[in-house]
Amino acid sequence: MNFKKLFTYTPKDEYHFTLLDNGANNVSDKKETVTEPKTVFPSLSVNLEFVKSKYNSMINSDIIVREFNLLARGKQYSAFLLYIDGMIDTEIMNKFILEPLMLRNKSNLYEFDQNRVISEAVTNNITVRKVKKFNLADYIMNCLMPQNTVKKSSEFSKIFNDVNSGNCALFIDTLNIAFDIEVKGFEKRSIEKPENEMVIMGAHESFVENLRTNTSLLRRIVHNENLVIENISIGKITKTNCSLCYVKNLANSDLVAEVSYRLNNLEVDSMLSSGQLEQMIIDNNLMSVPQVISTERPDKASSYLLDGRIVLLVNGSPYSLIVPAVLTDFLSTPDDKNMKTSFSNFIKWIRILATFIVLLLPGLYVAIASFHQDVLPSDLLYSILASRETVPFPVILEILILEIAFELIREAGIRVPSPIGPTIGIVGALIIGQSAVSAGIVSPILIIIVAMTGIASFAIPDYSFSFHLRTYRFLFIFLGYCCGFLGIGLGFLVYITVLCDTSSFGVPFTSGISPLQKTVGHSYFLQPVWLREFRASYLDTKKEEKQEKISMKWKYPFLKKEDL
Amino acid sequence: MADSKITSKEAIMLIVTIFVSHTIVTLPENLLSNTKSATLINLIYLGIIVSLLAYVIYRLLKNFASLDIIDISEYLGGKVLKNIIGGIFIAYFIVTSSNLLREFCEGLRVAFFPMTDILSILIPFVIMLFVTNYLSFSSNVKAVSLIFPLVIASIIFLFFGNFKNFSFERMFPILGKGFTDTFITGLGNIFAFSGISCLYFIPPYLKDPSKMKQISLTSVVIGLLYFLFCTATVLLLFSFFVDVDEVLPLFSAASYIEFGVFFQRLESFFMLVWILEIGAYLMITNRFSISIFQKMTSIKYQRPLSMIFPLLVLGIALLPKNYSVIRFLETNIYAYFIIAIVFVLGISILVLANLKKKKERKV
Repeated sequence: MNFKKLFTYTPKDEYHFTLLDNGANNVSDKKETVTEPKTVFPSLSVNLEFVKSKYNSMINSDIIVREFNLLARGKQYSAFLLYIDGMIDTEIMNKFILEPLMLRNKSNLYEFDQNRVISEAVTNNITVRKVKKFNLADYIMNCLMPQNTVKKSSEFSKIFNDVNSGNCALFIDTLNIAFDIEVKGFEKRSIEKPENEMVIMGAHESFVENLRTNTSLLRRIVHNENLVIENISIGKITKTNCSLCYVKNLANSDLVAEVSYRLNNLEVDSMLSSGQLEQMIIDNNLMSVPQVISTERPDKASSYLLDGRIVLLVNGSPYSLIVPAVLTDFLSTPDDKNMKTSFSNFIKWIRILATFIVLLLPGLYVAIASFHQDVLPSDLLYSILASRETVPFPVILEILILEIAFELIREAGIRVPSPIGPTIGIVGALIIGQSAVSAGIVSPILIIIVAMTGIASFAIPDYSFSFHLRTYRFLFIFLGYCCGFLGIGLGFLVYITVLCDTSSFGVPFTSGISPLQKTVGHSYFLQPVWLREFRASYLDTKKEEKQEKISMKWKYPFLKKEDL
Repeated sequence: MADSKITSKEAIMLIVTIFVSHTIVTLPENLLSNTKSATLINLIYLGIIVSLLAYVIYRLLKNFASLDIIDISEYLGGKVLKNIIGGIFIAYFIVTSSNLLREFCEGLRVAFFPMTDILSILIPFVIMLFVTNYLSFSSNVKAVSLIFPLVIASIIFLFFGNFKNFSFERMFPILGKGFTDTFITGLGNIFAFSGISCLYFIPPYLKDPSKMKQISLTSVVIGLLYFLFCTATVLLLFSFFVDVDEVLPLFSAASYIEFGVFFQRLESFFMLVWILEIGAYLMITNRFSISIFQKMTSIKYQRPLSMIFPLLVLGIALLPKNYSVIRFLETNIYAYFIIAIVFVLGISILVLANLKKKKERKV
């Protein structure tokens, strides 16, 4: 029933648009009776007609079909080029494709025998000649196309896929193949500073949207021929190029096979970002805890590659995914390994504290305020009670109002244009907070609690993990309100049991913490750089040793290997 | 089972967790009421005996590779004996955990929720068990190993936090009521080491069963040290404690800790750690019960049982009418029940099974 009709008058002759929901437009359910051709025809006109209809060239403004006459060995052949305007480099197209093919030059004017004699032998006055027949396709490929990446292809699906990626396809009359020529030249963002993962002492490069640029960034850092970058296309419609990167002599083969298996078995129409891919490949989506590391930093991705992990890149996404991930990874930054160990470990302690503050502090406050006032010294208790005297709400409502307000401010700060962002923060934090306290809606102590929680959430390096903690904090607020420390204690026990039950690509999520195992050089807290001798045992890498037992050989020049 | 394998360190933490959880309720008080000021000596004496028993259990289990006592009973007396022993151990785990839960919840009610119905305090534990039973056994053990350091730290902190309040003369007379009461009738205090029962069930879960000896002895030693810290805290802090009707003696001990003006009442934080500890204990005993039941009935999956056993624990925990009934049952019935099952029945089954095996080998 349309309630609007009850209260308003709508004239019948007014134009209305409704998207019919009767499935009339849904063609995918119908059985397609017309089978599309799969391979290239020898007749150019048939190819031309098919390509034009496939690409809707009558209505598609950027699809270009350039027909021309090709000159080879003095003969002319009809041909056409198919490409997408804006995706190709026109200079390469003109200079290295059209010019050699169309203009007269030494190569295409060569008019001697069409068949070449390779060898000749005379026996019993009979001459036997081995002749290589003239092949137009080979001739064009080898002599007329001064282009570094040219492939012969007979399947339309492959050709269209590459044209959609920015290549051009050359169809020639009488040939049942087409030339797939790389002429990519679209506009792309240049490599910039990372925006969301700032470091003090690390590199200042970040991934961009272009897949090849990203793979080159990894190549430059890893700088080893064992780095394998496999291409996998995902999405029935978008056929998005994704790269599976690993160091062949380090990464566990079963792990590589598993990741490849998951990537190759995604039945989706489109794959537009690494975030979508992450959700499609993780073991368990029920718990919001991230099971894949997402980073925009090539140095971080390369460091994990060298630890024996796998990096996934998605074309069009400036983030890479790293698998498998364990809990401690979400509390680490690339800076940790660049700083002195003592500094890093101090910061790591702070991050642990921040994690507990984000997750438990509001819940503990509610529990203490509701059930366990005895833990507070009398003076503090009196001041809290005095500050709450004018507040008309119960503590749960008070904290929920403020926490939700804080989340609103944070969300607004992210969405608004960047020049206004800081203003929103100042207005939200200072003016609204102060006014709320003055109006007696919330107590000042609660402002401190919520602010501390908010600040602590920014100290967590991984955005997804921070978000996870922020959402679970509401659960602990509820538990604290219902059962005090009992609720929080049992809730925390369940929470850590669930974390222990989680796994990322076969690796227990709490590896390195529990189960306790060999974590030399790879526990959460870092050892001095010369003691980081092993890769994490939970990764079961092909090469466990990371560096020699005596890594600083200069210090012990006379020490022999057998003395160790 | 593949994901249920645990390391030897995790096994030690699991066993110690089972050992020490009863100390949070009235175990120190029960020990003290039996052997008075000789409790510390008595505990050391019992610790040596239990270490020997743990070694004996290890030797007896060694001949059965990674079989638990239920499989061994089947080997000894077929399915009938397997079901009888399984039933007895399920009853043991359910009854002891129900009793501990009820006792602890009574303590919680006195401390924090005086106006709350006991059922409302019990239900969060049951909900916790519903969830954790759905997860893998190894995840439960991993969670226990994360909590374990907290529990150990809490008791050490409790001991040293109260150090300035201790009256060391309360240790005397060192032999309490006399030699006989300490070393002969004091043997009854062995029920405190009932956590040793885990040794019967742990072999199938071990990644490396050859470390069983290390696991048995280390867990007994750590458990003993924990008992000593707990009992010493209560003994040295309260005069004639046994005459004081305290629900949770360690909780009372925690209220004496003071650090400056700000940290004056820390007992609630201790309670938070002990809630985790009791939760961990319930989690593990529930898993053992479910696992035994699964073996008895040969059902394929444990998940359908994950709600039944917590409800059983809840039902039995609600049976005693009040706290004095629980105390009566604990001091007069459960202690003997535990000794009979853990130290007599368990070891007898293992001895008989070993004799049978020896006989078979000879034949």
